[in-house]
Amino acid sequence: MKRLLRLLEKRSALILLAVLVAAFAIGDSSTFLTGSNFENIARQIALDAPMVFGETIVLIVGGIDISVGAVMAMSAALAIGLQPYGTPVAVVAALAFGAAVGVVNGILVTRGRIVAFVATLGTMSVVTGMVLTYTKQRPLVGTDENFAWWGGGQIGPLPVPLVIVLILLVAIWVLLEHTRAGRQLYAVGGNHDAAFLGGISINRALVGAFTLSGFLAGVAGVLVASRLDSASSQLGGDAPLTAIAAALIGGASLLGGRGSILAAFIGVLALGVLSNGMDLLGIPTYTQIAIHAVILVAIVAIDALATGLRRRNAALLRISE
Amino acid sequence: MTTSIKTAGQDENLKPGLATGGPERLQVWLGFLRNNTALLLLVALIIAGSFASPVFFTPRNLLNILWAVSILGVVALGQTLLLLTCRFDMSVAAVVGFSGIVTVLAQIGGFGLYPSIALGLLAGAAVGLCNGLLVLATGANPFLITLGTNLLVYSIALSLTHSKTLYATAPGFNVLGRGQLFGFLHYSVILLVVLAAVFEFVLRRTVFGRTIFVTGLNETAGRLSGLRIQMTKLAAFVLCSTLAALAGIIMTSRINSTVANSGFGMEFDSIIAAVLGGTSLFGGHGGTLRTLIGVLVLGVINNLLVLLNVPIEAQQIAKGTVFLLVVWADGALRRG
Repeated sequence: MKRLLRLLEKRSALILLAVLVAAFAIGDSSTFLTGSNFENIARQIALDAPMVFGETIVLIVGGIDISVGAVMAMSAALAIGLQPYGTPVAVVAALAFGAAVGVVNGILVTRGRIVAFVATLGTMSVVTGMVLTYTKQRPLVGTDENFAWWGGGQIGPLPVPLVIVLILLVAIWVLLEHTRAGRQLYAVGGNHDAAFLGGISINRALVGAFTLSGFLAGVAGVLVASRLDSASSQLGGDAPLTAIAAALIGGASLLGGRGSILAAFIGVLALGVLSNGMDLLGIPTYTQIAIHAVILVAIVAIDALATGLRRRNAALLRISE
Repeated sequence: MTTSIKTAGQDENLKPGLATGGPERLQVWLGFLRNNTALLLLVALIIAGSFASPVFFTPRNLLNILWAVSILGVVALGQTLLLLTCRFDMSVAAVVGFSGIVTVLAQIGGFGLYPSIALGLLAGAAVGLCNGLLVLATGANPFLITLGTNLLVYSIALSLTHSKTLYATAPGFNVLGRGQLFGFLHYSVILLVVLAAVFEFVLRRTVFGRTIFVTGLNETAGRLSGLRIQMTKLAAFVLCSTLAALAGIIMTSRINSTVANSGFGMEFDSIIAAVLGGTSLFGGHGGTLRTLIGVLVLGVINNLLVLLNVPIEAQQIAKGTVFLLVVWADGALRRG
């Protein structure tokens, strides 16, 4: 019975995805239901997915990370800008930068005792400043032709970024579901005090989650840079909101302790299908932004209402006992 | 998250009443520091600035700083009211652009000076009402909700202007943003100071103002005492948005034109200014006169960075760093 309930809850992302696919299939079947269009969707969501994975991990542990968009932009800038020193150096620097910002976020939240979203808002501002300073507000263009393979190449029939994302998906799934560290993340997010009394290091869990989130935003930055073969300060503006929304669709909660990486992936897929379908139907950009915004607000509002309901149910259970 | 914030507020509130034992002197010192950090910082910055640049401490430059911060200041006043209730508004950035656009479109459409300004303010108030109703009805995190409405209002502003610059047409409109009293003091500066003083009075001396503080400190206690907490929260959202709209109109009047993204970054800057001034991020502590000082600190920092030839992009790094330092110090001092 419990399993069934859990399945039902997790299915909300799937239902949304199915509805969207059905709607666009009916609306524009000639292009939507083609192999090349599915490849388009796959390439598009592969750029967002790492960030959503990171955001999901942070939400599970009870935090929130607003800095992911800025980190992605800076990592993209580094991955392009440092190519004269060799592409491996540039990529490693981009990933290391993401992880470093994550560590700083974690330290600010644990040692500095600053509320997660305020701390990451601060680092977002600093990192945005770094992006502006580093790019001098001009787009950077890549010099290494082989670099484009990571974002645009193919392995067999599959786009490279999708393969990378699937590898990340499996790795994070194993981490969250089948390792002690992963279960500890849920424990910390679910009940801070119980986790502490159970001998779990809260600080280590938080710093670990933020570091992973920063690193994954770095991965997203590298993939975006490779895909566009350029980087600019314009990247990643509404990325935090999109990442949080996708994670919430995937069943994560702003209160922590909940969420699954597979459902989060379906959440990204749903948002990807949505923008792709709107493009195909020729909906103007402004309207698309508006629709996007309405959906994001709706998701946050529904999450809040559902949380309120869960709390009330929990309170009722306690009374009936 | 909210619950932990509330308990922190309650504990804080109990402390002065329980001033028994402990290192009281330290408490007094910390209290003094906490209450005057922004002022000390401002004085230190002005002294440092006078040494660093010969241009800095001239009447003209100081008046320029005042003029430069007067728009952000109005936004920050509204943000302060919301922060006091332990809430935020990230949509002020879009509202600044949106209200200017509505005002200019009204002028183009044949409305006179005052009706067009009224329409601009009304547009802001409407956004605030939506924010407030959404947050209150769902109990959702105001930060994320207003981040979403920010995007929504921005997209509306974009579609109204088709991403182009609009020019104001009403005669006399630019007096608000460019006009000067006695030829040196801008009306917008006077407006900011008057608004700050009025809201400080409202906060300290009216039931509405006191209810705002209670909302930030202990909502449940306020409700049980028969205060209209929900209405107060809604009013705070509407006021915040309306003040952002006023700032947008002043900005439009100053440059006689408007674009959709003219408020870019103001959501963040207004929160920084309020927190710099000493308004707590967790509600219940602060005031609008303090925010005035916070805005001045930001203005002086910006001005000094320009005078010292620091690249304009680096200002963002400085602002973010100052913000993190202030938030950290705010928390550390409150715990200490």
